[in-house]
Amino acid sequence: MYKLGYIFLESPVHKKDPRIKLIAVIALSIIILHVGFVGLLIASAAALVIALLARIPLGSLLRTLHPVLPFFGLLFLLYLFFTPGRPLPLFPIGPLLISHEGLTLGVLQVWKFLLLVVAASILTMTTSQSELTMGLEQLLRPIRITGVSSHDVAMMVSLALRFMPTLMDELELIRQAQLARGANLNPPRMSGKIRAMSHLAVPLAVNIFRRCDELIEAMEARGYQQGHRTYLRELVLSRSDYCLIAGILLLLITVIVT
Amino acid sequence: MIRVYNLTYTYEKGRSPAVKGLNLEIDEGEYIAIIGPNGCGKTTLIRHFNALLIPSVGEVQVAELNTRDSKSLLEIRRRVGMAFQNADNQIVGMSVEEDVAFGPGNLGLPAAEVRRRVDQALEMVGLTGLQTHSPHTLSGGQKQLLALAGLLAMEPKIIVLDEPTASLDPEGKKKVLTLLKTLNLQGIGIIHVTHSMEEAALASRILVMNQGEVVADGSPGDILRRVEWLKSLGLAPPQITELMWQLQQRGEDVGTSIFTVDAAVEEISNLLERLKSARKA
Repeated sequence: MYKLGYIFLESPVHKKDPRIKLIAVIALSIIILHVGFVGLLIASAAALVIALLARIPLGSLLRTLHPVLPFFGLLFLLYLFFTPGRPLPLFPIGPLLISHEGLTLGVLQVWKFLLLVVAASILTMTTSQSELTMGLEQLLRPIRITGVSSHDVAMMVSLALRFMPTLMDELELIRQAQLARGANLNPPRMSGKIRAMSHLAVPLAVNIFRRCDELIEAMEARGYQQGHRTYLRELVLSRSDYCLIAGILLLLITVIVT
Repeated sequence: MIRVYNLTYTYEKGRSPAVKGLNLEIDEGEYIAIIGPNGCGKTTLIRHFNALLIPSVGEVQVAELNTRDSKSLLEIRRRVGMAFQNADNQIVGMSVEEDVAFGPGNLGLPAAEVRRRVDQALEMVGLTGLQTHSPHTLSGGQKQLLALAGLLAMEPKIIVLDEPTASLDPEGKKKVLTLLKTLNLQGIGIIHVTHSMEEAALASRILVMNQGEVVADGSPGDILRRVEWLKSLGLAPPQITELMWQLQQRGEDVGTSIFTVDAAVEEISNLLERLKSARKA
């Protein structure tokens, strides 16, 4: 089932306010774009310490890298072969040329992206979806000046997450219904594959609209109106939380400026 | 509590109205079942009770609040909760407790009060212990109970249900119906739209609708015994009532105001008793 990999545990990282964790991940992603090997090493060590503090099994953390590996592998090869510079010993071999710069840049960039994925995974593994949406809602409060309510944005995110498993089930039902009527959902040719896809996507889209109508009616019946509302939990930042946020921002500014 | 004056509602101009010239009074704490064939206007009628629909002609008042007045909208929806047939499409929260907190959150209550109401509502429907579960993992019956908890957390005066048991298994049905009875005993009014005459028999008042009008309004005893008339409307009386009716048609001396197996057993034993003593004499 679709759960963003949240693992419920008692740990100082799990207990931290979701806003702090969101800010930290955003700050980290900006920071590592600005640093070299040494900075990256420190950032990776920090991520490792946080993961250990959160008592996340390292194996499951590494597993989250699995789906992105082919993409990053390709990225690495692109950097490796297409960065001009001093050739490594033994090169060029025929038309192939690998430069010192290419090798360093490839390792550095791929490492940065891997670290980003790891950071995001630590966030989603230590923060439940509802905490994430609440954190998002509060961090987005300033967008009120644009006329958009952060409550509405949070509602949309949370509905999307809420209906994800429901729609997965529905897709499976439609697939079985099409198979039962003799549909070939995995034809050999590309054009056929696209047509087969539409046989799943169209009924799914129609169902989503129907669900939407009912959902809107039910939400209205329960008094939903755009704009302000309250929640089961209130997020409260302690003094040390504020210090932590200030520290993160200070670090971010230092890295960008230097 | 709810007053309907001369209500007519037309979905599209030029089409015949879905409900026409309807007058109705519903008191606080009543347990009402609304029955009628498909397309008779049941659903249209109940959607007026919490201002999901606004009358084309006529007025609907909930405790003196007119549904046309958009300022009273939230208050009307707080007082009249509505549950729909498909529970899955009414659940908005990512966890059980967050879903129940949705209504109180819309009322803008402080977090502590939201928490109190969520715990209380879950306790009332018997879902305590599942607070942090994902709604996706619940059974159909539990989802419907969760939808009801979401309404109860708004502390409504009346709960309107549109075929809440239609897609439930017998166990889930029983739980929902028992809960409705319990809530009614606590003073909450119930308006239950249903196709099942067995379920309608649990109410203290039955409204029969046909072609946009209320064609009968009375106690289950009055309504359900009119077996032939119900059949002419395309409705089936409870099977047990039909059994008694057929026995009566054959000339047996039995009543037809009987809607439960227990009552039928009682009536038939009495009949057998009478026959036995008559034979002896």
